[in-house]
Amino acid sequence: MRSRGFGGLATSALVSGAIVWSFMTTDVELSRLLSAGPRIAEFLGRMFPPDPTVMKEIVKGSAETLRIAILGSLGAVILSAPLGILASETMVSPVLYRPVRMLLAFVRAIPLILVAMLMVGAVGLGPLPGIIAVAFHATGMLAKFYAEAIDGVSRAPIAALESAGAGPLVRLRHAVWPQMAPVVVRDTIFRFELNLRESLILGIVGAGGIGFYIQTYVRSFQYDKAASVTLAVVIMVAAIEAINVALRRRFV
Amino acid sequence: MSLAVQIEDLNFAHPGSDFPALERISLGISMGESVALLGPSGAGKTTLLTLLDGRLQGWRGRASVLDAPLDPDQPPHRARRPDTGFVFQEYALVERSSVLRNVLNGRLGRMSTLRALFGSPAAHDLKAALAALADCGIADLAERRVDSLSGGQRQRVAIARCLAQEPRLILADEPVSSLDPARAAEVLALLTNAARARGATAMFSSHQPSLARRFARRIIGMSSGRIVFDVPTSELSEDATEDLYRDTEPMPNVALRAVS
Repeated sequence: MRSRGFGGLATSALVSGAIVWSFMTTDVELSRLLSAGPRIAEFLGRMFPPDPTVMKEIVKGSAETLRIAILGSLGAVILSAPLGILASETMVSPVLYRPVRMLLAFVRAIPLILVAMLMVGAVGLGPLPGIIAVAFHATGMLAKFYAEAIDGVSRAPIAALESAGAGPLVRLRHAVWPQMAPVVVRDTIFRFELNLRESLILGIVGAGGIGFYIQTYVRSFQYDKAASVTLAVVIMVAAIEAINVALRRRFV
Repeated sequence: MSLAVQIEDLNFAHPGSDFPALERISLGISMGESVALLGPSGAGKTTLLTLLDGRLQGWRGRASVLDAPLDPDQPPHRARRPDTGFVFQEYALVERSSVLRNVLNGRLGRMSTLRALFGSPAAHDLKAALAALADCGIADLAERRVDSLSGGQRQRVAIARCLAQEPRLILADEPVSSLDPARAAEVLALLTNAARARGATAMFSSHQPSLARRFARRIIGMSSGRIVFDVPTSELSEDATEDLYRDTEPMPNVALRAVS
């Protein structure tokens, strides 16, 4: 086996140091952990059985979350198409794609919930700030994916179509797009799944959707209702994932 | 008699390179001829064929293809391109599309832009594509996706795409170098026979003298960007082909480095 050398030793020391530091500066009290057991049990007990009378709120909230995810994703696709081209190595010069990529990395680094809070402040409560936040946040990733899809296109078929006498638009349609399309479709579906998952909690900061009801019921100690909504969220996420897997199999 | 290819004192160096890729090339090829370009890697075969296909600019000298001069500074008009067909070494197919779709791509230059954009071939486009598929022995693969095919089948698709284009000059850049010997002979036979049946001029490059002898009437030897011989196949001596490969310098620093 190869020796790990100094680099390995330094990494181990760094990780150990980080763990010790975290323990020493945070009150991780064993007694509090032990006494929490019965309280967690009581908490779960109050959630049980989930209250099915909130079905109406669940349907309303889920539909709003779905709308936020759909419109937010649409916004991200519209923003990502031009930004993806501007971030592509093969389409534009480094002078352009480098700063665009940096901008996209910056956008990716801002958590969705933070963007949503800012947007609630800017445009008020409701689904609109949620939609804008999702579109903004998702573009950071989607535009990068689109750029990679463009850069992954093989040049040879484009040359072949040029040789056959096809013009630039026709080459784009018959040599570039068929190579890109499956990647673009796959990445867009993937991003839509993420958008839907992430927008489930947007309601907590007042940016619309089902998260609003979770927050409301927890704050008013209606744990059985909160449990129903949480259950609905879990089912929704599982369903989205199953649909996504099926779609990906079909397209890729 | 009109010439399929006429070149006079052609010179070209790749941008940023001090060495000429083509140096003082002059040659004439009659309509209907079948010519092999023979030579080691880096001899300039691909460069010459690409230039004749109108996809290389910045050369000096004079060149005309099918009686129309090539412009050293800009690609030929779109309307002229379908007359010259090109078969690529690595097939250059759209991997995820069907065989038929790829062969129809050869028709794109002969369709109106609108028809081409919407991907709706006219009856005669479809007919040409199907005829090309049949000639290449792959009519039964029409609906298959290219990424499910073998190398030999892919090159047949690439040749069918070229034939569907109905070119009068067929340029093939090492069309069989990635195929095994049996497959290579089959595919070259297919290519040269199809060209002859259509009365098209065929020019293919290869680094295998045996294949060049078998499938071309005339062999042009190239080395370091120059033509070193240009003879009818029957007059080509063994020595000439051996010299062609002996003269090439081995690549520096890549030979026999110990594998750790």
